[in-house]
Amino acid sequence: MEALLEAKLEKLLEQVQKPARYAGGEMNTSVKPFDEAELTFAFCFPDTYDIGMSHLGIKILYHIINKQPWGLCERVFTPWPDMGDAMRREGIPLFSLESRTPVRDFDLVGFTLQYEMSYTNILEMLDLARIPLYARDRGEKDPLVVAGGPCAYNPEPLANFVDAYMIGDGEDVMVELCAAVREGKRQGKSRLAILEDLAAIRGVYVPAFYDVCYNADGTVKSCTPNRPGVPAKVQRCVVTDLNGAEYPESFPVPYTDIVFDRIVLEIMRGCTRGCRFCQAGMIYRPVRERSLDRLLALADSLEKTTGYEEISLSSLSSGDYPCLAELIRALMDRYQQKRVSISLPSMRIDNIVKQSLEETQKVKKSGLTLAPEAGTQRLRDVINKGVTEEDLIRAVTDAFESGWSTVKLYFMSGLPTETDEDLQGIADLCKKTVAAYFSVPKDRRARGLKVTASVSVFVPKPFTPFQWVGQDTLEVIRGKQERMREYMRLKGVTYNWHESTLSFLEACISRGDRRIGDVIYTAWKDGCRFDGWNEHFRYETWLAAFEKCGLDPAFYAYRVRPLEEVLPWDVIDAGVTKEFLIREYEKALKGTTTKDCRKGCNACGLQRWKGACPAYENARGV
Amino acid sequence: MKMLAVFEKGPRLRLIGHLDLMRAMQRALRRSDLPIRYSQGFNPHILLTFAAPLNLGAVGEREIMEVPVEGTVDPAFFLDRLNAALPPDLKILACRAVEDTHKSPMALLRAARYSAQPEGGADDVAPFIGPFLAQKTVPAVKKTKSGEKEVDIRPMIHELSCRDGRIFATLDLREESTCKMELLLDRLYAFAGLETPHFLVRRLMLLGEDGNAFVPLEDV
Repeated sequence: MEALLEAKLEKLLEQVQKPARYAGGEMNTSVKPFDEAELTFAFCFPDTYDIGMSHLGIKILYHIINKQPWGLCERVFTPWPDMGDAMRREGIPLFSLESRTPVRDFDLVGFTLQYEMSYTNILEMLDLARIPLYARDRGEKDPLVVAGGPCAYNPEPLANFVDAYMIGDGEDVMVELCAAVREGKRQGKSRLAILEDLAAIRGVYVPAFYDVCYNADGTVKSCTPNRPGVPAKVQRCVVTDLNGAEYPESFPVPYTDIVFDRIVLEIMRGCTRGCRFCQAGMIYRPVRERSLDRLLALADSLEKTTGYEEISLSSLSSGDYPCLAELIRALMDRYQQKRVSISLPSMRIDNIVKQSLEETQKVKKSGLTLAPEAGTQRLRDVINKGVTEEDLIRAVTDAFESGWSTVKLYFMSGLPTETDEDLQGIADLCKKTVAAYFSVPKDRRARGLKVTASVSVFVPKPFTPFQWVGQDTLEVIRGKQERMREYMRLKGVTYNWHESTLSFLEACISRGDRRIGDVIYTAWKDGCRFDGWNEHFRYETWLAAFEKCGLDPAFYAYRVRPLEEVLPWDVIDAGVTKEFLIREYEKALKGTTTKDCRKGCNACGLQRWKGACPAYENARGV
Repeated sequence: MKMLAVFEKGPRLRLIGHLDLMRAMQRALRRSDLPIRYSQGFNPHILLTFAAPLNLGAVGEREIMEVPVEGTVDPAFFLDRLNAALPPDLKILACRAVEDTHKSPMALLRAARYSAQPEGGADDVAPFIGPFLAQKTVPAVKKTKSGEKEVDIRPMIHELSCRDGRIFATLDLREESTCKMELLLDRLYAFAGLETPHFLVRRLMLLGEDGNAFVPLEDV
């Protein structure tokens, strides 16, 4: 940034909230000289520093790009509205934290899509960076705007703003994509020629190379390549060997408080349980484990380079990690002396090992979070959650006996086939949890029971067996929430519910088509940003944006889609096949469960790709 | 044994708060693998004290902290090890070992020397410094936790001068009497009938006492 702007920025930072968010210079951040890098990548997280810095993906990809001798990656987060407004007023363009380089001077500007309601922040960041928002308006001098992450599996809502998507595990495709851009730059290729090179890489989707046609009723008719050499369906990337995959040996250590300020060890990727509402469980298939040795080596170097006091084991279902008890014991042995605590955020009810509970709380006690998701066995079978009431009661009783007194229970309302009985079932489970606490003798339980039940609104997601279902209408949701408040007047239980209008918009966008992009643009233009933050969420403005664009939100959120309808995200091959999802959808409506695929292949689709699913190939002796 | 360390809090970190800085230093100490001491109790933390918190927005050129250690540690070794574990904008400049019985830097602190660089230079205010100091009293309103309080800051000002576009001052910094550089500048510009400009404050040095003279705190 030029000196004059830098001086303005310094002054401005004294006036905004939490200026430490914009300081940079943290331990273990990149100090490469910007001008010497052959390929520069601005890693943009469309939320605040405190949220973004808690995210594992950014740490992995930041490490990978900076590890390339020719690559440089710097971080950018969305400025909080006070800062964003001040930057506009003072003419300060969006800049990177490391070298304070304007984002528009980077070769690649990459966004991670973790949450649909952060999409307006992407437009806000592009605008603050003075990069044309629509891909078609960008010229040879503008950066290429790329995106990835779980929400990229439906690339259509942002298709008009993104030059190229990376679908699937990012470790390898990120390097391939950066290398291709570097090569294109060296040969002086045009923007279009570089995009053509990118489209040839597995997992890369270039929206401009596909034309979308619609039927008279507004549904998608087709999405087809408009030039040769572009695949009709983009296959997602799969990292088959997690031990061989890159993982950072050091994390940036923030100065300011962030949400998850600790070492994160990803012990496993993917989940074999097959919960039907869960997008992560479908798109991160197959399950892949990191070895005990690799994890201990990573823990060692991360502990040394960060000085963190806590190690968190991360995966979709940590209890399914085969050597969990061994891993926890080894970590405790190594770090108890150094006062490092171990935490396990994603435990399933049915495999909580009492011993591992006791182990992990030796150093520091934290709350226990469990997710039964639904109130009755019938509905848990519909969603294939596969846990029973006995599992839950056993888990909380074990926890109470081991000295825990704070339990959080997560549920969803609005799941397909839900009835009033299922809602009452939620209250019933809470009651039984309280009773389990009192069943433990007074001298053996900790004081101060606190049960928190959070009930969120179900949002159907692409690439799940529920991708065809209609979301409950706002009216129905509100009625259910009102009844829930009655049922949940329970002693010792705190009941939380979620803003239903936010879930409604999330449903519109997550299964949206390319036309939704204009709604997002209009909402942003009319002042929406940080929609996921209560104090900034402006529902009326969003509704008005739909109206201005001539689109009906109910069409996207409420409509039950026929199985034969072309879905906006059909252009992506996520690994799981439509046949599998249909099979699961039909089983759900019948209340039939599907077994954990560790117990035998369910033919979800991953078996089609050679080497992709080790469990399948081991079973077949390949 | 305790380590007295002089460190720099660079310009990039001037908006990092006291508690954040404390945590950053504790993490650096953990990374350094030096034989630091922990507090007793249920949630042990690293023992570490700063001589005085620095105002948000100011650069600290020679800040001072005290780190109790186990056994004997060579100060040069301590300095090297800790510097290797610190981010670029934090740097240990000097280090000295003292006995556990040595008074804490917080207790020995008497004053601090500051500089302030006003935007657009200090030429306009320079002629007013003499007359300002000639006043018998300089009333100022101090904001405290219990509300606003009128104080006379004149006796807290030990030196005030102007050089190379910067204003220098030595001001009281002890429990019973503290004058912040920002407050002094506010009074000085009001006296001159000028609008207080934007300025960058640097705390240049923390001072203790030897007889009747100020000496660098780390030497006491």
